[in-house]
Amino acid sequence: MTLFTGEEALDKALRRFMRARPRHAAPVSAAMPLISNQEAWLNIALIKQYHENMRVEESRKMVLGLLRDIGLEKIAEKRNPALGEEERFYAMLLRAAMVEKAAIVIDRPFKMLPHLKNFSAVMTVLKTIDGLYASCDIYDYDWMKDKYGALCR
Amino acid sequence: MDIPEQVGNYISGRIQALARMISFTVKVFRRILTPATYNSATRTVLINQIYFTSVQILPAFLLVSAIVGSLFIGVVFQVLKDLGLVSLLGNVLMGLMVTELSPFFTVLLITLRSGAAINAEMAAMQVNREIKALEAFRIDIIDYLLAPRVVGGVISVVLLSFLFSIVLMASGILFSRIIFGISADVYVNILLNSTNFSDIVVALLKCASFGFFITLIPIYYGLQATHEPTSIPIVVSRGMVKVFAAILVIEVLSLLIRLQ
Repeated sequence: MTLFTGEEALDKALRRFMRARPRHAAPVSAAMPLISNQEAWLNIALIKQYHENMRVEESRKMVLGLLRDIGLEKIAEKRNPALGEEERFYAMLLRAAMVEKAAIVIDRPFKMLPHLKNFSAVMTVLKTIDGLYASCDIYDYDWMKDKYGALCR
Repeated sequence: MDIPEQVGNYISGRIQALARMISFTVKVFRRILTPATYNSATRTVLINQIYFTSVQILPAFLLVSAIVGSLFIGVVFQVLKDLGLVSLLGNVLMGLMVTELSPFFTVLLITLRSGAAINAEMAAMQVNREIKALEAFRIDIIDYLLAPRVVGGVISVVLLSFLFSIVLMASGILFSRIIFGISADVYVNILLNSTNFSDIVVALLKCASFGFFITLIPIYYGLQATHEPTSIPIVVSRGMVKVFAAILVIEVLSLLIRLQ
């Protein structure tokens, strides 16, 4: 994970990250929301359908399986406005993980999950889906380091 | 700034806007003809678009076309009888009702229902930064959002216009019997004799052009929204005005082609 002293430095680093990995960068960010007029499962499956031409039924089955693995199968048919903060975050995380050899970058996770006391719940989900992505970076402000606990040490 | 300079700036701005629109149209048209555009995701959007635009609307469309079609047919047949122009029945039916009224009525209905919806949808996506999110995942906006919607629009206008013509013809059977005392056999015969292949081709091209522009223009203007929610009504009204202007231009052009 990388900590920054201010917004400008973080945004600059994020842009650099995206530019450096033009085919594999997979952002999880409040600035890149889910598509509102599509169900959560379709938001996640879209990446495979578009880039790998995966059939709708096949991609749906795969996404429902992943949602079940992280205990969120109930969100599959919900749309973005109907999702809770955590549900939305994990849907965005799964969407990012759908990118081939995904280089996931989580941009200020506590901005999307303000009620979360620490990062352990997200780490558990990341471990559950660790076969899906190549790397995972977390970008946040340095004053948030206490929330990351062992990750910062 | 003096008046000539203001006029010059205005004209120059208009020409630049038109050039951008033409360049965008060419880009979309080329992408539509590229087989690689149609992956699993875009095919899904295409099917949904056809469903929303032409299947969901079907009951209301059939009802309205039966009412409006019967009304027009009844009035036109009565006028023909009063003026002693019964011999022109077939020409009027095919030349006016099928090739002019059907596409025009269909495009008006679809523009009101789907054109406005697409315009607002694109603007809302732009405001919510959903377009930016798609781009971050390397999903091409033209391939994913535009091409399937435009193709869906073309297919929908052509099919619904054809359906409107069928309803119109069917109500013609009834009115020709009531007003002229013509049997169904004779009526069909008159229609077939009046059918002109070039008119059908022009009508088809007109429907396809209608379908293309009543989806392309709302998307184009919808994507011009800023990140401010207040920009949504501005781009929607701008887009819809341009759509109606495009409908009139296509209508006039098709008329000029037919008159030649």
